[in-house]
Amino acid sequence: MERNGDMPELDITLKVNGRTVKWRVQPGDTLLEALHAHHLKGTKLICGTGDCCGCGVILNGNSINSCCMLAAQADGGDLLTIEGLLQEGKLHPIQEAFAQEGAAQCGYCTPGFIMRTYAFLQEHPHPTEEDVRAALAGNICRCTGYVKPIAAVLRAAEAMQL
Amino acid sequence: MLKIAAYHSPTTLDEAAALLAEEGRTIIAGGTDLLVNPRYMVGVREVVDNRRLGLNYIFEEEGWLHIGAGATMRSVARHRQVQALANGILARGAAVCGSPNIRNMATLAGNVASASPSADTPPSLIALNAQVVLVGVQGERSVPLDSFFVGPAKSVRERELIRELRLPLAENDVRGGFYKIGRTAEDISMVNAATTLSIQEGVIIKARLVLGAVAPIPLRVVPAEEALLSQPATEETFQRIAEIVRNEVRPISDQRASADYRRRMSGVAAVRALRQAAGLAPHGEEWRHA
Repeated sequence: MERNGDMPELDITLKVNGRTVKWRVQPGDTLLEALHAHHLKGTKLICGTGDCCGCGVILNGNSINSCCMLAAQADGGDLLTIEGLLQEGKLHPIQEAFAQEGAAQCGYCTPGFIMRTYAFLQEHPHPTEEDVRAALAGNICRCTGYVKPIAAVLRAAEAMQL
Repeated sequence: MLKIAAYHSPTTLDEAAALLAEEGRTIIAGGTDLLVNPRYMVGVREVVDNRRLGLNYIFEEEGWLHIGAGATMRSVARHRQVQALANGILARGAAVCGSPNIRNMATLAGNVASASPSADTPPSLIALNAQVVLVGVQGERSVPLDSFFVGPAKSVRERELIRELRLPLAENDVRGGFYKIGRTAEDISMVNAATTLSIQEGVIIKARLVLGAVAPIPLRVVPAEEALLSQPATEETFQRIAEIVRNEVRPISDQRASADYRRRMSGVAAVRALRQAAGLAPHGEEWRHA
């Protein structure tokens, strides 16, 4: 990351995956850049313009794109990233479902799909296929053709009710 | 990393207005336009965040529905009162703006501030006779939204921030229609149309018709509105209106659609919105998926 010596850095405090952290960021850092700078590289940069949802994370319970938000704006927030989904070393049921359905091919968009799915299933634990299609409308995948991710979300919804 | 020299996070409107008074500063809300479209960063060195100003509200008071500048597209789309207003044309516009992730960040006021001719919500807002409340060091002023836009990314907003949008409730005891033609679920409009009609005994007594993405600003089609008055709310009337709309629009060709396509579709979008307002076609409930 290019650093500009003239720019004053600022300190932000936020919760990341359950742990409170203090990060020093620059005013122009996006939240995604701050994640990468702090060794959380599971969240991917794909389009960088908010069009693909590949950089999806969950801030204060809402799924958002970390590429078009300043890190400074996340000050005081509660952030969940793909790294935070592991439970006692085990994959989250959503991750498990994506693996079982073959819903990841190159895998680059997958963290975004999974975080969007996480936020969606929190609110809609019993979705129809139509609900799932609408919920994933912004997540772009160039490999799978979407059929398998949709099946994975439905499978995850079932698994999470067990 | 964006070239931003300083980030300000004021907690009062006075503080925010004072910060904005200086050149080279701009307001940031959801950030989904500002941070990804270089057009909005020209000459900007510092940003002033509106998140701590307490503007994340939607409430009714004294005949107005107040929508604070912090209200996200999602919260607007899901708000019961917004959904109830003129068949929910504003909630529907907000519900088809971008993707779920964008709607969790982008604000309604930001959609207005960006002044994009193809934005999804200004046609509904103008059809509902919305006002925009601006705050600067000189104080506060209220501008009717139909005289707010000047050109692409240009408005009458000076070194000011938007405090809220307000909708008059008494005037909006009307029926509405909204129709968006887009390439994909998340893309901005190729053409959109919003309308509000008052119909008494089958005759139109009040009409507003606004088209998006067919002119340098969201276009209120006044000749069409005038032609609707005293006419029966029927398919025949609406087909005549489509002709007027096609003649009034001033579309451009871009990566989304050609000018010719936009012109043809402007008539289609207008008729479909009008049919909804007249009860000749069901109005959608896009907010269900917002």
